[in-house]
Amino acid sequence: MSTHSIWSNYHTHKAFDEMIDHQGTTRDTCATLGQYLQTLGMETIKGRLSAAEAAILEMGITFTVYSDEGNIDRAWPYDIIPRLIDFHEWKSIEVGLKQRLKALNCFINDVYNEQHFIRDGFLPPDLIESSGNFRKECIGMQPKFGTWANICGSDLVRADEGKVYVLEDNLRVPSGVSYMIENRVITKRVFPELLQNLDILPVDDYPTQLLEMLSSLAPHSTERPQIAVLTPGIYNSAYFEHAFLAQQMGAELVEGSDLIVKNDDCVYMRTVGGLEKVDVIYRRIDDLFLDPEVFYKDSALGVKGLMRAWKAGNVALANAPGAGVADDKVIYAYVPQMIKYYLNEEPILPNVPTYLCSDPEQCQYVLQHLSELVVKPANESGGYGMLVGPHATQKEIQQFHKLITHNPRNYIAQPTLALSTCPTLCGDELQPRHIDLRPFILQGEHSFVTAGGLTRVALRSGSLVVNSSQGGGSKDTWIINREQ
Amino acid sequence: MLSRSAERLYWLARYLERTENTARLVSATMNLIYDLPFGVELGWHNLLNICGVEAAFNQRYKTCSEQNAIHFLLTDMNNPGSLLASLTIARENIRTSREMMPDEAWEQVNEMYLYAKNNLDQVLHRRERALFLQEIMRGCQRFTGFIAGAMSRNASYRFISLGRNVERADMTTRIMDFGTILLAENRSHMMREYETMLWINVLKSLSALLMYRKQIRQRIKGKEVLSYLLKNPEFPGAVHHCLLEINDCIQQLPNCKELADFIDPMIVEILEINIGETTPAQLRITLDTLQAQFNDLHQQISATWFLSP
Repeated sequence: MSTHSIWSNYHTHKAFDEMIDHQGTTRDTCATLGQYLQTLGMETIKGRLSAAEAAILEMGITFTVYSDEGNIDRAWPYDIIPRLIDFHEWKSIEVGLKQRLKALNCFINDVYNEQHFIRDGFLPPDLIESSGNFRKECIGMQPKFGTWANICGSDLVRADEGKVYVLEDNLRVPSGVSYMIENRVITKRVFPELLQNLDILPVDDYPTQLLEMLSSLAPHSTERPQIAVLTPGIYNSAYFEHAFLAQQMGAELVEGSDLIVKNDDCVYMRTVGGLEKVDVIYRRIDDLFLDPEVFYKDSALGVKGLMRAWKAGNVALANAPGAGVADDKVIYAYVPQMIKYYLNEEPILPNVPTYLCSDPEQCQYVLQHLSELVVKPANESGGYGMLVGPHATQKEIQQFHKLITHNPRNYIAQPTLALSTCPTLCGDELQPRHIDLRPFILQGEHSFVTAGGLTRVALRSGSLVVNSSQGGGSKDTWIINREQ
Repeated sequence: MLSRSAERLYWLARYLERTENTARLVSATMNLIYDLPFGVELGWHNLLNICGVEAAFNQRYKTCSEQNAIHFLLTDMNNPGSLLASLTIARENIRTSREMMPDEAWEQVNEMYLYAKNNLDQVLHRRERALFLQEIMRGCQRFTGFIAGAMSRNASYRFISLGRNVERADMTTRIMDFGTILLAENRSHMMREYETMLWINVLKSLSALLMYRKQIRQRIKGKEVLSYLLKNPEFPGAVHHCLLEINDCIQQLPNCKELADFIDPMIVEILEINIGETTPAQLRITLDTLQAQFNDLHQQISATWFLSP
């Protein structure tokens, strides 16, 4: 066995590295992990990765990628080196995330009712009307507890000298939580001795918390509300997750054609014994496909009359239709003000500075600095339609110049952050790769935040795009308490 | 239980049964063909015929060589009835039904699928092909074992059992079609000479040889084999037994009245068939009628419990 350090070729770049500081010393949080990896040596680490990859295949942990050759079911990309966050730091992030979702829900409820925030001059009204995710059909609705976004996946990044920012809030149908849980299952298999000796917060209580939150939304108090997970079906990229969550919660996994809304405006599912009433639907279908009676007329994924049943208060939908209005990347820029306005608190987690192209002055700046900025469309997710200025070709920059000029409302820009890096197994050695973090926040009767979340990693050297649909990988995330 | 879930479990069981049957049929045919002298009027085309894919095969291939037949029956994804296609559909169905059965059941099917996909080249060589087929048959049996050992006798279990037995009964009648060739008045002298061996292979293709011998302690005769495969109430591959199992499942599921009325006369009719006095032509009609009835039975099951009538 070679005696040289597995860290000898590990060179951190300008970015903040989660494990090794600029002097090359292992950070305190990661001391035990660093030593442990060193003791194992590279060959053993690689062996454990092979074992992990075999387990992922056999357990069938997959995600679906759309391609020209049809839909491919790919094994979940897992990097064996965990990402660690100190318990105390995490506690304050957790409070910040709950605060943020609370304010977002106040805002959504306000948008569809009195619109105080707009009337008081904090947000130009045309930004709401022009939002692709604003649903006029939802005006006047008041979901239980005033919560519209019950499940939120916020993307956090660490930049500069270690400061954590919120990059975006996913309030429509955020995915990834099942992989967070499965990543831990895999890590337990490959590093059992390490997990036993460290105090790491567990992550597998999420389905229980989700079930409790969904139950709290049931329109009428019943002993055991009937809960269903509504999936677009097997060809959806997140189908694995839909099935996983339904199984873990003991809920029914349904597709649109399993459900029917009768004349009494109640939702029923078709069972072998006849129709059974459904109380709460965790829908993993986009708004516009939910109900052909109201939205896309030819949607085969949705359920005719679902909006009728929801408006009549006979079924709870999570997330509520229209919740995506606050998911718009233009609205994102206003979240710190929302926190002050609705909660009368100072924001705990900062936003990334954001230029709104809808504002002529800011748009001018963006157009002049495209090669330095990251440009994002306001209503897309999954890393589609983005421009990463410093990595873009001249042609791409010109293309975005045109796109933005043509439809400024649809674009925002942010400085290119030096996302933090984390040691990642690349071939035969550990190399720094950029990462982000997606924790999941629940809000129903109570709030809940996952312990950590899903760490996504850009596998290509220097790349900042972490989405699995764009070739990103993932890491198990450890919230580690070092006090004995 | 959701109608969709019931339908998926039913098809899961049908496709896994089809996977196992295809493996066993190909395996038995290999055994038989390597034993037979040249000139006997039996070949891979008979197997294609039994599987009901002769026409589809002829559209794609000019010659009915062993390589072509094997490719078409085992690994051709353009043949929806091929072993790999059946296994793929079975896997899709269980992948979407994971919340209803023990994890090991899913992992078993998934592993078998991965094995098949990663070892497709094995089927090109006879020796490795035999190992491949054996592994698939064992995988299917392990699945059946998990289900038998770790699953409550609930609605999910019954839909699996229903699917398996409908598919099995149908396959048994298809294999009995061999009988119409083996009993043909104008069959060759050579065929008559090898007759016993041929019937033994028919039994083998259903794993029925030992059970048959234990029950009927005389020289193996064609019509008795056919009668056994049709009317024996105890052997799992016999049509009568399958119908009894189907009946059991049906009785314990909701809204079963119409189906029960449908299956009762089927069982009575099967017991009234007298193979001893049947000509090969009549046998063919009997088997065709039975296959049509199984199709009706499936339609009825579908209309009673599934989403898509």
